[in-house]
Amino acid sequence: MSAVEMIQLKPGDYKTDAKPVWCPGCGDYGVLNALYRSLAKLQIEPWNTVIMSGIGCSSRLPGYVNTYGFNSVHGRALTLATGIKSARPELTVITVGGDGDGMAIGGNHFIHSCRRNMDITYILMHNEIYGLTKGQVAPTTPTGDKTKSTFYGNPEATLDPCELAISTGATWVGRGFAGDMKVLVPLMTEAISHHGFSFLNVMSPCVTFRGDDQFKVMKEKLRNLPEDHDATSRRAAIYYTREEGVITQGVLYNTQQPSLTDRILELREQTLGDNTPPTTEEIFETFYPPF
Amino acid sequence: MPTGDLVLAMFGSGGDGVVTMGEMMAQAGAKDGLDVMTVEAYGPQIRGGESSCTVRLSNQPIYTQGDEVEVVVVFNWQDFLRFQGELVVAQDAVILYEESDTTPIKDVGLSLGEKARWIPVPFIALAKEAAGTTLAKNIVTLGILSEAFGVPQALIEKAIIYKFSKKKAAVLEANLKGYKAGIEWGTGIKDRVTDYYLEYEPGEARLLMSGNDASAVGALHAGCRFFAGYPITPSSEVLHFLSEWMPKVGGSIIQTEDELAAMGAIIGGSFAGVKSMTATSGPGLALMTEMLGLASMAEIPVVIIDVQRGGPSTGLPTKSEQSDLWQALWGSHGDAPRVVLAPADVEDCFHATVAAFNIAEESQMPVIVLSDQFIAQRRETMSPWSLKHEVVDRIRPTDEELAEGDYKRYADTPTGISPMTWPGIKNGQYQTNGLEHTEDGRPTSMYLVHEKMNEKRYRKLRDVRSKYSYVRKYGSEKADVGILCWGSSKGPVKEAVMRAEANGQKVSAFVPQVLYPFPRREFEEYLKTVKNVVVVEISYSAQFYKYLKTFLDLPSDTFVFKRSGGKNLTVAEVEQKIERVLELSACRREVLV
Repeated sequence: MSAVEMIQLKPGDYKTDAKPVWCPGCGDYGVLNALYRSLAKLQIEPWNTVIMSGIGCSSRLPGYVNTYGFNSVHGRALTLATGIKSARPELTVITVGGDGDGMAIGGNHFIHSCRRNMDITYILMHNEIYGLTKGQVAPTTPTGDKTKSTFYGNPEATLDPCELAISTGATWVGRGFAGDMKVLVPLMTEAISHHGFSFLNVMSPCVTFRGDDQFKVMKEKLRNLPEDHDATSRRAAIYYTREEGVITQGVLYNTQQPSLTDRILELREQTLGDNTPPTTEEIFETFYPPF
Repeated sequence: MPTGDLVLAMFGSGGDGVVTMGEMMAQAGAKDGLDVMTVEAYGPQIRGGESSCTVRLSNQPIYTQGDEVEVVVVFNWQDFLRFQGELVVAQDAVILYEESDTTPIKDVGLSLGEKARWIPVPFIALAKEAAGTTLAKNIVTLGILSEAFGVPQALIEKAIIYKFSKKKAAVLEANLKGYKAGIEWGTGIKDRVTDYYLEYEPGEARLLMSGNDASAVGALHAGCRFFAGYPITPSSEVLHFLSEWMPKVGGSIIQTEDELAAMGAIIGGSFAGVKSMTATSGPGLALMTEMLGLASMAEIPVVIIDVQRGGPSTGLPTKSEQSDLWQALWGSHGDAPRVVLAPADVEDCFHATVAAFNIAEESQMPVIVLSDQFIAQRRETMSPWSLKHEVVDRIRPTDEELAEGDYKRYADTPTGISPMTWPGIKNGQYQTNGLEHTEDGRPTSMYLVHEKMNEKRYRKLRDVRSKYSYVRKYGSEKADVGILCWGSSKGPVKEAVMRAEANGQKVSAFVPQVLYPFPRREFEEYLKTVKNVVVVEISYSAQFYKYLKTFLDLPSDTFVFKRSGGKNLTVAEVEQKIERVLELSACRREVLV
């Protein structure tokens, strides 16, 4: 590293000059700030990093971070992230988005991303509602709650993203709150550092469509994981999902499993190693009759 | 008199080894320098369904699988009947059919001439007797075919040895015995089929590839180092081939959870600076269409190979059709520029795929290669010298330019092409999106920016149009009948044109490789050289004809020959059309006089 590159990056160095479009009081500001701080804490090089998102209020986030960024298509952020990490395993890849984007339209990609356990971090900004389309029900909206699209109250059951992540193969799962930076920043830092698919569910209040008291409501439900929680135990981790009346924050699950990113690199090593890759002519050779 | 061009077809159930037999004949022919084409056809069953394989061996260049089958091998009439209407059998054909199949000949749907030779063969009995298993009946058949029809005998033996060398010695021995028994039995019918004895001078060994193979190798040649795909007939061979080769060239491959993810993944891979591709068929392209727009909007180079099959919906998964044309050309919400190429034969699958990467990388947009089952799954012989193609990379800003700061990812330039960075390039960071955006990538909903950026994105097509307008022309410079067709129709059309020319008729054909941007000038110049125009295509709703009408003032009396897929286009069909057009135009002349 040259002397210039040795300069410490500060949280502010990760900002772009674009101003967030979020409503005043939105939880996503907290997540963005936590991300600036985590990136600075890890001294992540902006030019070797991609922040990927789908569509939704929270998916605007990549525009505000001075890494490579891509605000892609509704529900598909993880598919692009998977492509980036497969093609360039050495890059830091962080995906961000909302609960509608990730759990409804993107649900299939979420479970397969967890299963592949690629070295990607997925930060979910969970507000229990669709914000960008102005207040429709999400798969995470509590049953019975009235929304713009459920006039008589939400008739459906909800899902817990952390439970889904744990059960489908994510190797690091944590839950935080946009209003508690003391816990959130270390959680996010750990998630980004984790080798394998890390999933951080951040409760991020929507003060516009879930009520302007959302910070207070969530804060009252907030609990910390007990100190003796065994994060290597799937069963112990699952205990803190589908909670009612409480939000438990902390590292629910943390384990090491083979990652697809490693397998890709291993395979390359096995088949190519230090050899010169075959030329087109050599590949054509294999199509002559083999006798 | 012996022949220099032989078409054989074999019919049986899955497990009869029909396809293996065809493959061995094809390999023997390729080894001896013959021109070979093999076409396989299956029912929709996974195992045990009907299957057929047609092999054409010739000492002359060939462009099609051959119109009329001259030697027919039938292990089972029930299986043969399932292909009814898909193959034409020559009037004087040799029909070798299983002796123990008691189906009355009058019920097999073949009305042949007096010169046809119906020969019952004890395939099963011979196999049991010589090899000790009925499984060897395909090998027995190879013996008969090599002895009586001149399919290269010594090379078939080599193929058998190669095929069974990995198995127990007894298995190889049994099969060789079966082969010898076939040869012996073949001597008994040799005198009756001398007109179908293949005679040729052996030449240099040839490559034998399918269109899907050629597309996959084309991708590797172009520098593709990331492939994401979801299995779908008839494109899966691209995925299979690359699953072996991608790691060997230092690349990555992933089988995604669906086609949405495959498309997302290749956009991600290419955004990360790695040339990326997927391969699919119509139903998969439908799922990819949303993100096709993302690639247009965010200006990400990607290549999508669509191996067309019969549609709509699940359609005819194992059979060919040219009916994804509109989907490829126009499938999108919004105005989403892309390039559409159409390979016309197996070799062209290689060239079109390399060209697709060159265009995608150069103009930063999605390129669709419209292959189809007919060329993707058939095998053809090729010569290595014809498989060379220049490779082009995307342009990026220099480090010095980036160090100055203020990098604009979507800078407006005379060509519309903006130098592109990717992760790892310092000072090149940008934040992009599927939203309309300004030159620096910032989202906006302003009409003025939208108009300007649409214009910029479409401007890139001009460059493509001027640099890539590869078209094929066959036949007379001035013709009474001019045929417009695309993609896999080229083979039968070319052969029909050449036959017509040989008969003294003035006929020509025009086949564009670049379908969009539309090569209008080339079309217009061609149309000036023909008196009557015929559009030939395998699409029930005549998608190509209607597409041409949007860009060309086609004559009002343009003839259209179109039909559904499910049966490959034949030379005879095209010839009949040419005859008819000549007839009708003669009538018209009479009226004018």
